Amino acid sequence: MTPSCLRILIADDSDSDRLILKTLLCRLGHRVQAARDGAEAVELFRREGADLVLLDALMPRMDGMEAAREIKSLAGDRLVPVIFLTSLSDAEDLARCLASGGDDFLTKPYNRIILDAKLKAFDRMRRMHEALAEQHALARERNRQLLDEQTTARRVFDNVAHTGCLDAANIRYHASPLSIFNGDVLFASPRPDGGLLVFLGDFTGHGLPAAMGAMPVAEIFYGMAAKGFSGADVLREINQKLKRILPIGMFCCGAMLEVDFKAGQIGIWNGGLPEGWLFRAGASPRPLPSRHLPLGILPPEQFRADLTAYPASTGDTVLLMTDGVLECQASDGTLFGEAGVRRCLRRRQQGEHPFDVVFQAMADFSHRAREADDLTLFSLDMIDRTGLALRPEPGESSALSGPSEWRCEYEVRGSTLAEFNPLPLLLHICMEVPGLRARSGEVYLLLSELYNNALEHGILRLPSDWKRSPDGFGQYYRERQRRLAEVSDHGIVFRLHHARKPWGGRLRVTCEDTGDGFDHANHPVARDSGPVGDGPRYAGRGLMLLKRLARTVTFHGRGNCVEIVYDWRLPSAPSITDGCPPPAAGGRDD
Amino acid sequence: MPIHTRLADDGDTLVIRIEGRFDFSTHQAFRDAYEHGGSKVDRYVIDLSDTTYLDSSALGMLLLLRDHAGGDSSRISIRNCNNDVRRILAISNFEQLFAIK
Amino acid sequence: MTEKPHLDEEALAELQDVMEDEFEVLIQTYLTDSRDRIASLKEALAAGDADAVARTAHSFKGSCINIGAPRLGDLCQAAEQAGKVADLARAQALMADIEAEFAVVTGLLEGLSVR
Repeated sequence: MTPSCLRILIADDSDSDRLILKTLLCRLGHRVQAARDGAEAVELFRREGADLVLLDALMPRMDGMEAAREIKSLAGDRLVPVIFLTSLSDAEDLARCLASGGDDFLTKPYNRIILDAKLKAFDRMRRMHEALAEQHALARERNRQLLDEQTTARRVFDNVAHTGCLDAANIRYHASPLSIFNGDVLFASPRPDGGLLVFLGDFTGHGLPAAMGAMPVAEIFYGMAAKGFSGADVLREINQKLKRILPIGMFCCGAMLEVDFKAGQIGIWNGGLPEGWLFRAGASPRPLPSRHLPLGILPPEQFRADLTAYPASTGDTVLLMTDGVLECQASDGTLFGEAGVRRCLRRRQQGEHPFDVVFQAMADFSHRAREADDLTLFSLDMIDRTGLALRPEPGESSALSGPSEWRCEYEVRGSTLAEFNPLPLLLHICMEVPGLRARSGEVYLLLSELYNNALEHGILRLPSDWKRSPDGFGQYYRERQRRLAEVSDHGIVFRLHHARKPWGGRLRVTCEDTGDGFDHANHPVARDSGPVGDGPRYAGRGLMLLKRLARTVTFHGRGNCVEIVYDWRLPSAPSITDGCPPPAAGGRDD
Repeated sequence: MPIHTRLADDGDTLVIRIEGRFDFSTHQAFRDAYEHGGSKVDRYVIDLSDTTYLDSSALGMLLLLRDHAGGDSSRISIRNCNNDVRRILAISNFEQLFAIK
Repeated sequence: MTEKPHLDEEALAELQDVMEDEFEVLIQTYLTDSRDRIASLKEALAAGDADAVARTAHSFKGSCINIGAPRLGDLCQAAEQAGKVADLARAQALMADIEAEFAVVTGLLEGLSVR
């Protein structure tokens, strides 16, 4: 069919008019079907279709206007131009023709040139419409495929980036519905020491590219957090990974929150997220502003991962958010902004939870906020969790093959003390012991208490009582960092020895540092009497923990060497009586 | 066009001025602006005096420019930010990468 | 009403050009058609159906204009108007003019087609 040849349906009750029009159109190169009235025209259109329809306005049986409506509805999404043939001269009648769905009219007597021009114009319009409809259908199909793919990707992503322990009672969050990936990620994982690690991230862009970037972040986070790596370790790893895999221009704004319930403190790192908030009883809310570039921009050697520490005790709350919160729009286009967050927090009444306050203010500000799928709001309440909290890892614990009789020595020296945390490695060695995996929380706690005391008090000589006042707390961590950077001739040696026992096993750990030691003979724990207060080295809490978990705690030398003996028993083993600690609670205590 | 460029300092400096919203819709125009700036250019000035809004994809574009201009050795200054724009740059700590005036 | 010519020579010339060999068929079709319409008009008048008068006059008008008989077309339009306002007496009066004019047009067209 040549481009100018159209299939045209005409309807006119006048035989002579029909003959004239049919001949005219045939001469112009079109194929013509002729009907005597509206009903016949509709029937012909239903049977044969047409590219274009010419209808006499007034006809017996069914007039042109009604036929136009029928034909338009039969054509559906297709554009079939309908032109009225008329000798109507009344403007109102002409307007009625167009209102009934006609696209134009042609007055009698017919003019060949005008007829040809109109047909060409409508043919162009028809083709354009067809092309658009085709593109539209294609776009719709592509979009459907894309959504399918994203939904699948989302499912894969959710398997990797499971919600961890976000269901804990002291955690609240509002995050995107589980449909399409919007670029926000929120992970939380218990740490072996009973603490908690939380990562909130916001990738530039959304959809598949953002999900691709988020996947390794989830793997790194959950993999490292459970093994006892610190928030800083995890951040370094995430940054390095993202720097390597993300194209330039794509990055991840994020915040890492490390919670130590037992020590009553949090550590926060904020790179590019809106300021978070720390709410403490009796104090005004403290902003936790972004102090770092987002993740995935700086090369590892320039990246700074140190968390800022703040004291936080039971009842205190940490609030974090992505910038979707700030970008909530009122109907007049104004943004909620940091000012909106500050405003509602200022007006917070006693007893109101900060999460509710911000969420409600956001919803009041913008009606869209409730359904918004591009924002994340998160809060964590500090709870009393001095006991042990880590759930034993499911499965695996019954594997009874593996080393159970061994000894090893591991020394960390010089500047490595500032750069490297040996605890995950030591924990990993211990976890190879069949059956001991179920006790990973206790073992990690023992190792970390020994290590932190050796490092912070033995070598860095930081007085633990500084941490008791808010000013001293900051000073403690500033000094820790400063002194750590200057450490050169010091070292810490771990000696680990494990022996199998009929009821389980015995782990003996000696931790020796090159510091000056202390007068352990007069330390309350050494005398093993009375309530345990703060000594010059071991803070009361730390010692109490060691004593609670270990069968014995012994100081050697000038007080720079601590030895603990930790007995553990298999769940099926007969109970032992002599000084073995009561089995730690298996569940979580929140 | 919401993006205007001109050469200054004998062609050493390329001044890119962004009007209105600096977001993903300006992606191609912004890229064209610095890629066709001229071979002599070794300094960039991003003039945001007429920029009303800037989003994270704009931050990404600034990082792309920084990479194009030599990464750590690039010389890029960002000027005349309004308060909203400055706050967004500050939250992301971009002053560590760019001279923001 | 200004008196239009019985036939529009220009329109007819164009029709002849378009229709070529079928011009004669067209003329015969028009004449047969028109006779039917005049009969219908008379029936409608006899029945006192003003609507039918208007509709039939309207259709008749269209084909007259198309064939190039403008004076007859004008008479039909006048009848259509009379029908619309239900002025059957006026329509009855116009009927005689229409028949007279149709006789003239028939003569002229038949003369044309044998030429």
